[in-house]
Amino acid sequence: MTLPSATLVAQSALSGLFIGGLYGLMGLGLGLSWGLLHVINLAHFALAFLAAYLCYQLASVGGMDPFATLALIVPLCFAFGVALQWLLSRFDLSPLNSLLATFGLTAIVEAGIQGVWTADFRKLETPYAALHWQVGTLYVPAAELVTLAAAVGLSFAVYAAMRFTDLGRALRALAEDAPIASAFGIDARRHALVLSGVCGALAGIAGVCLALSFTLTPSQMYAWIGVVFATVMLGGLGSPLGPLAAGIVIGVSEALTSAFVSPSWAPIVSFTLLIALLLARPGRA
Amino acid sequence: MSLVHRVARGVAALVIFVAAGAFAQGQPPIRIGSTLALTGPLAATSLVHKVVGEIYVEQLNRRGGLLGRPVEWIVRDDQSKPDLARTLYEQLITVDKVDLLMGPYATGAILSAMGVAQRYNKVLVHHTFGIPAQAKYDMQFPAWSLGPTPEVSVPNTVFDALAASPAPPKTIAVVTSKFPSVHFMSLGARDVAKKRGLNEVLFLEWDFGNLDYGPIAARIKDANPDFLWVGAIGLEGNQLLEAMSKIGYTPKEHFYMYPAPGPMSKSALARNALSMTVFEEHPPFTSAPGAKEFIELYHARAAKAGIPDTAVEVQAAASYTAWQILEAGVRGAGSLDDKAIGAWLHTHPVDTIQGKLRFDGPHNYGDDLMRVKQVQDGHWVTVYPAAYAAPGATLRVQ
Amino acid sequence: MGARVYVAIVVAALALAALPWLRLPAFYASLLYLVLHWAVLATSWNILSGYSGYISFGHGAFYGTGVYATAVLAGTFDVPFLWTLPVAALAAAILGLALGAVVFRVRSVRGEAFALVTLAVTFVVATIVANTPIDGGPGVYLSSVPVPSLAPTVPGTFYLLALALATASVLAARAIADAKLGLGLFAIHDDEDAAEVMGVPTYRYKLAAFGIGCALAGAAGGVHALFVSYVTTAGTFNVTLPLTVILMCVLGGTRHWAGPMIGAAVITLLLYATTAADHAIVGKALTGAILVAAVLFMPHGILGRRRDTPAMRVAGASNVAAPSPLAEPSFAAPSPRASGAPLLALRGVTKSFKGVRALDGVDLDVREGEIVGVIGPNGSGKSTLINVVSGHFAADGGRIQFRGDDIAHRTPHRIARAGIARTYQVPRPFAGLSVADNVTLPAMFGAAGLDRADATAAAQEWLAFTGLAARARLRPGALNLHETKFLELARALASAPRLLMLDEVLSGLAPPEIDGAVALIERIRAQGTTIVLVEHVMRVVTALSDRVIVLDQGRVLAQGPAAAVMARDDVARAYFGAAGA
Repeated sequence: MTLPSATLVAQSALSGLFIGGLYGLMGLGLGLSWGLLHVINLAHFALAFLAAYLCYQLASVGGMDPFATLALIVPLCFAFGVALQWLLSRFDLSPLNSLLATFGLTAIVEAGIQGVWTADFRKLETPYAALHWQVGTLYVPAAELVTLAAAVGLSFAVYAAMRFTDLGRALRALAEDAPIASAFGIDARRHALVLSGVCGALAGIAGVCLALSFTLTPSQMYAWIGVVFATVMLGGLGSPLGPLAAGIVIGVSEALTSAFVSPSWAPIVSFTLLIALLLARPGRA
Repeated sequence: MSLVHRVARGVAALVIFVAAGAFAQGQPPIRIGSTLALTGPLAATSLVHKVVGEIYVEQLNRRGGLLGRPVEWIVRDDQSKPDLARTLYEQLITVDKVDLLMGPYATGAILSAMGVAQRYNKVLVHHTFGIPAQAKYDMQFPAWSLGPTPEVSVPNTVFDALAASPAPPKTIAVVTSKFPSVHFMSLGARDVAKKRGLNEVLFLEWDFGNLDYGPIAARIKDANPDFLWVGAIGLEGNQLLEAMSKIGYTPKEHFYMYPAPGPMSKSALARNALSMTVFEEHPPFTSAPGAKEFIELYHARAAKAGIPDTAVEVQAAASYTAWQILEAGVRGAGSLDDKAIGAWLHTHPVDTIQGKLRFDGPHNYGDDLMRVKQVQDGHWVTVYPAAYAAPGATLRVQ
Repeated sequence: MGARVYVAIVVAALALAALPWLRLPAFYASLLYLVLHWAVLATSWNILSGYSGYISFGHGAFYGTGVYATAVLAGTFDVPFLWTLPVAALAAAILGLALGAVVFRVRSVRGEAFALVTLAVTFVVATIVANTPIDGGPGVYLSSVPVPSLAPTVPGTFYLLALALATASVLAARAIADAKLGLGLFAIHDDEDAAEVMGVPTYRYKLAAFGIGCALAGAAGGVHALFVSYVTTAGTFNVTLPLTVILMCVLGGTRHWAGPMIGAAVITLLLYATTAADHAIVGKALTGAILVAAVLFMPHGILGRRRDTPAMRVAGASNVAAPSPLAEPSFAAPSPRASGAPLLALRGVTKSFKGVRALDGVDLDVREGEIVGVIGPNGSGKSTLINVVSGHFAADGGRIQFRGDDIAHRTPHRIARAGIARTYQVPRPFAGLSVADNVTLPAMFGAAGLDRADATAAAQEWLAFTGLAARARLRPGALNLHETKFLELARALASAPRLLMLDEVLSGLAPPEIDGAVALIERIRAQGTTIVLVEHVMRVVTALSDRVIVLDQGRVLAQGPAAAVMARDDVARAYFGAAGA
């Protein structure tokens, strides 16, 4: 067996970087709500797909620019997140129960999407899909670059917000010790609503990125659960930068396995790596 | 639609209704049972089968039903789960006591249904079962006419078509999903290519459900074969095309088994893409009896059901064929007795919109009727063999 | 009373086994097969994950191992189908045990990390199966494998097989819940470290529960392989299987042996009820809505425990006041009076955390029958000392001898069994167990090693001794701080330790409560238990201790009678630090 060329390896790694960015972007909101609100929100995937279908509808049928649809989709998803938290917070739910309640919600949204758009494949055709730049022998596709930029930008924005804004500091305090934080006058309920809204908005942005690069079908939302869960748990719950880093590790390691060995062996490398990392990390329970 | 038209249609519907009522008087309907994956991952294609089944049963009743009795179709949703399909077929046979069976969609469910049918000695006509060697029941009848050894005959047809083209390929890359009905064809294509002296420059497999096609595309670009054989089910073909386009690569000649027809023909990237077909919306297929009427009805119903691509192609045609086979069997046998229907079908070829199907070969598969089609100007057109090619169409190369 | 449940389960199973001969349409056997199949998967998942709280997302891997074991043996190698089932169970159990043997040793792999590891294992197993001759991609066909005729119909045969497995699963789940293993798993669920320190062999218990659960899942997979007759990796190893199983367990109630079975029946029938083609999409949405409502309004499941009723809370509250010891427990440790013989001896014990030396060469002796007060400023290593002796942290160096045996490298549960018990400064009761069970557990697992009946009786006595008898049926959450501290004591005492280490047991108590506690500790010593007392309340230390040991920066600074030690300048300096210097 001959070694693959440098261009092939670099192009594959780039592809892994892009898909890893998308894993990270999908995982960002999921991990924030899991770590800070103790809600394992499976409906995050459903919301992202709903956003993707809305983007498809507005852009393909309504003739809007795909990026302009964000102006409608983000507030809508924010509202969805707020409403979800409003509903869940009325009940005393363990994280596991939140996973199951949102699993039910996912089925409802999936059925809704199928009811409106049928299960047949939908693809958003945009001029952005064909747009790419050439850097030496490497090709850099625009849509993917935008997704990666969004993932990096949003991850760092969330990181900065958590550190430097009152809202972020309050959220971290609440996650660490809710009773104490409440004693200091932090309104836990309101902050949770805002955070859940932000997570919803992040799902919405991830959905638009999905629509830019992927063909849609309702049941496809389940294809993302495994790898994005892995991304979030590896990156650290509630961590703003962790999912991005973990997503890129998984994406690039799979892409390189595909380049050197075979795509069908790709999952074994990333997931063995993941198990090894978990077993080796000290004391982070 | 004008008012006159509406009234006319209403009157027509009324006449049909009354007529149906008259011939059905005192006659209980013949009940045909089946499941389809109406929800879950296989739902996209199952919808096609549901629309076609409804059209056919309606047409059948308009023609006076079967054996002088109206026909009723009982469909259940197997939720894309083979174990549920099995239990539902048992319910159809032992509780609902349906008279006849029609097959479900996708390999797993068809195998499940086949096992049940075998236990109760029921005839099972199925639409799209792609692995003939695994159809081990004597009274199952395939509408998917790819012959008993498609892993040899289908690649040969493809390579014949290419050999007759202006630029016969010398090197080949085979990339394939591990989706069962696709995978075994791709492995067959490797063998056939080797026997025909093509030089294999790349062979790759990925798992069904793969999300990142970038590295696969990069390796194809690196190998740059004259001919690319893609074993890809549904969306996978489009995803690979998009991934290749993103790194600025256009395959020279490329073949897909089995693509999602609508999205692929509509994609600008799929120029000159090849695939297999048993039916397309052009002569000579459209001259088959009933084909034109079916196409017209299907366009309307598919649009109404919200299916984005309303063209009749392989799935819809195979579905229609399955119903034609069942009808022919019942009429030929003159009874609802499964043994009699099975015996008749074994010995009589059936005229369908795909052509003449026979069920006397190994595993009841007859001739390989698979033709080669190509995306030309945003449509699928048959290009080989010449007798089935769309008027004036020939295989185009880049 | 317990035995009656088992008889009832077996009688019910035997009655259900008659169904295939009732000449019902075969479909019913098939539908009930699906219900029972899911009941096996859910119950088998629950044995580890429901009872101990180790949520596994990898049930598909173990089920799938069983599926492929049978598929390959029966489909490819023509092994008779029934013979493949034990192999399927064994293969799945071996995979589970191998995974558990690695994962359960690592303290950080709990909670979501365990969920992730098991999820990852699913992908790893799936990739191996898909890329090796086990499957290779095209799936494995079992259409030509003969179905044994256990019943008049084929669906009847599958039904009987699933019924047998479901009966075995439910019996196992119930037997485990009743046994020591179950109590240990419930304790692990609430606080694994505390459970280990009280003598629960957590590693072995988790492994046992995992092995049993995986074996049952593997056997169910083996049967299902033939039921579907055609197996593929995509259909076998997916995320929806564990999600569905978890859903069933939570819906039915994870703490109850029958919960998963009920949940499986409800969900399977619900999914089946929505198969009418005309309403498939509405049915799916409706299923989702029912799930949401069920989880929101029944968070503990259909058979979940109810909250403590207000009546119970009032019943307990009427009897609070200070502890009023009723009787001297008859299960007290059989220790002799102070003999002066060394019970615990530390030599050169060191322990560092990230380079900071918490214990820096500690030498000390505790003699049989004495009360040793351990004092020192914050961060001097007092709590670390208790954590190291009880085995919670392994010492980096030095020797720890207890009754002449070196225990420095023993696991905490073995140390507990040898006769060392401890309390926690911040009480760590098992929140899901009743107050009575909280005390029963150490009586069974600790040095006393009583059986369930004796332990329950002993727990009653220790609760009476600590004045908590009226609270026995409550959950610890209903107790106030003072009661919780006494529960902590009752738990430590119930294990009948030779050496009792009390970590600031008085902190946070009001002065009258402290007096009650001091009296209690006197009486514990009077029974012959040796006590190490880590304490801040100086007057208590002075009143109770025969001897005082002063720790400072991880070293023994001074030891001797309290008055003498406190008079020393260096001790005062250590305490008052810069202010005194």
